[in-house]
Amino acid sequence: MMKYKIIIVENDEDEQLFMKEGFDATHLFQILAVLKNGDVLFSWLEENPYLLPDVILSDLNMPGKNGYDVIAEIKSTPSYSHIPVIITSTSSTKTIIDKCLALGASDYLVKPETFVEYVPFVRRLHQLIEEKQWVK
Amino acid sequence: MLDKDGYVKYSNPAATAITGYSADELLNQSLSLFYTDGNDSTKSGYELSQALKKGKYMSEGWRIKKGEARFWGEILLSPVYDEKNTLAGYSCIIRDISEKKQLELELRKSEERYRLMVEGVKDYAIFMLDANGYIQTWNDGAKRIKGYNSNEIIGKHFSIFYRAEDLENKKPERELTIAIKEGRYEEDGWRVKKNGSVFWANVVLTALYSEQNKLIGFSKLTRDLTERKRKEEELQQSEERYRSLVEQVTDYGIFMLDEKGRIASWNEGARRIKGYNADEIIGKYFAIFYPEEDILNGKPAYELKVARAEGKFEEEGWRLKKDGSRFWANVVITAVYNKQGILVGFSKVTRDLTERKKSERELRDSYDSYRKLAHELRVTNTELSHANEELEQFTSIVSHDLQEPVRTIKSFLTLIDIKLDQVQSADLKLYINKALNAAGRMKELIQNLLHYSQLSKDEITREEVNVALLFNEALKNLESSVDASKAQITIENEVDTIYGDRVQLVQLIQNLVSNALKFTSSETPQIKIKCTKEDGHVKFAVSDNGIGIARGDLSKVFEIFRRLNTAKEYPGTGIGLAICKKIVDRHQGKIWPESKPGKGTTFYFTLNEETPERRSA
Repeated sequence: MMKYKIIIVENDEDEQLFMKEGFDATHLFQILAVLKNGDVLFSWLEENPYLLPDVILSDLNMPGKNGYDVIAEIKSTPSYSHIPVIITSTSSTKTIIDKCLALGASDYLVKPETFVEYVPFVRRLHQLIEEKQWVK
Repeated sequence: MLDKDGYVKYSNPAATAITGYSADELLNQSLSLFYTDGNDSTKSGYELSQALKKGKYMSEGWRIKKGEARFWGEILLSPVYDEKNTLAGYSCIIRDISEKKQLELELRKSEERYRLMVEGVKDYAIFMLDANGYIQTWNDGAKRIKGYNSNEIIGKHFSIFYRAEDLENKKPERELTIAIKEGRYEEDGWRVKKNGSVFWANVVLTALYSEQNKLIGFSKLTRDLTERKRKEEELQQSEERYRSLVEQVTDYGIFMLDEKGRIASWNEGARRIKGYNADEIIGKYFAIFYPEEDILNGKPAYELKVARAEGKFEEEGWRLKKDGSRFWANVVITAVYNKQGILVGFSKVTRDLTERKKSERELRDSYDSYRKLAHELRVTNTELSHANEELEQFTSIVSHDLQEPVRTIKSFLTLIDIKLDQVQSADLKLYINKALNAAGRMKELIQNLLHYSQLSKDEITREEVNVALLFNEALKNLESSVDASKAQITIENEVDTIYGDRVQLVQLIQNLVSNALKFTSSETPQIKIKCTKEDGHVKFAVSDNGIGIARGDLSKVFEIFRRLNTAKEYPGTGIGLAICKKIVDRHQGKIWPESKPGKGTTFYFTLNEETPERRSA
């Protein structure tokens, strides 16, 4: 099974912690970085041009550059535009999901009910990447 | 006196004066001395014998004077008898009638000329009638017009040229009677040609009298007017057509003015437009249609002057109807000239454009009202789209901002539950704190949201607000945080009062100052509050020397619950500036930030300066 390099963008520190636990427990991803918002993400990408992730998982609601900003900027930057961006958020509202997909998000995953349910979430994410062959 | 053989026995002085010979020279000369062709004794002898036979003989002819000069002479010969009644000789009276002859010749020549002229005239039939109406002469014109040759018509009665009904009425006789009585008779009427066809003739019959004042006949002059009559009729018909056309036109007032500007004709359109009947307006000066002001300005005369100079005058303007009401007219005045190029008057065409003007105005009014409606729709649309945006914003807030703390609380309660099952108590206190924080944050969010949405719902009150007091109240509410930050606050104010919702305006200033205090990087924050008048607005500025805002983020600062910085560094719900924006919007003002990252930010907002009228409205 392919192990994907991933960057997680999430502002809530508690959430970050539990997400990381979930990812680690499955051994399906290699976490390159866990960053608090879009601003930090783009600084990181600039500083690590030879270490681009296979996939970016980003929260939507963040201070500074939020999830929408992340999609727009990744998709409009030629050197990053191939990287699939998957948005994850508490909201399951259709208009918000549609807006993300319209901006260029590869998919939108609703966050698990509680922080402690991240393992199935991570498995589903991996399965999705495999099925859709986002990473070549 | 001549002897019986024709020789001169005696001559008187008159004879010597005429013939040029002396009495002695004439004695015993033959009468033939005076005859041409060298003493024509044959002719003189014949004449003497004739005189003897008839008792008297008179002859006229060329006679010879002494020296062979000719004269036209008249010779009267009469035999003279003695007491025994035997022929004694002849008396001879000789007269020089050269002058008389000359006159006679000239008269004859002139008559000949007239005859030739009359006979040659082709366009007029000229002929003579005798006293009873019988035709005596015939010319070429008569032949051409009536068709008869002279040999077939001379001697006929002139009634041959009349139609049967005229003959029944004894028209020819009547005409002669009138000509005799009045000297002449003239008429235009129908006459008959040889081939029976009729023609329209102009006839002049003139009675002719001899020197003794005796009627000797009539001259008759006839012209064929058929062609002229036809043209006249055509012209008349065409004129009639145009006249009736013009008269019946109802939408245009069309009438003629004489060269002085007096009305000479009037049509139906003019009657309808101006209200005058033809009989009450014809002859009036056309200035009657002009408003007093135009008359004082000499406009009517000026218009004729322009029409005279340029051929035409055209304009739109107010004119008066009979009842004194005004109408908006299109007027064209055209100068009219006769064939000789002399100005005979003006034609004037007037159109009533009042209806058109009215419909133009109605069109414009309806356009205006549509534009107003469209504007209202646009405003409503904008309001709706704002409402829609707010609804979307609300959805976003509920789905993210409100769900997040709930999820956090739920997450930690789940963890606590798990730990309790496993009898692990180490992290329980931490988890409970986190859940409580999340609950507290939730409460704060809900309160802010309610506050924010309340701003949209409540009617804002408009009252006179003292600006200095406004600043005081806002700063007093922030007293503790101002003290804590050791900030220096300066106020520059040149405005006494503004109009608006006092409570909201206090909150607005308070939020902006609070924002300035929060995003500070300096040990001693410098905050400056300014209020100035500018282009009918009151402009406020709240400046700080804080961290500033990146150019790309300037447009995001007013989004609700949007935080540009992480909560750890700069805590807050991200609702303060959203509330500021809402308050300014509700006061129909504008709010915008200007910033240099690292140097500080100034938030500006404007409020409309209220005029007394708006206040009372």
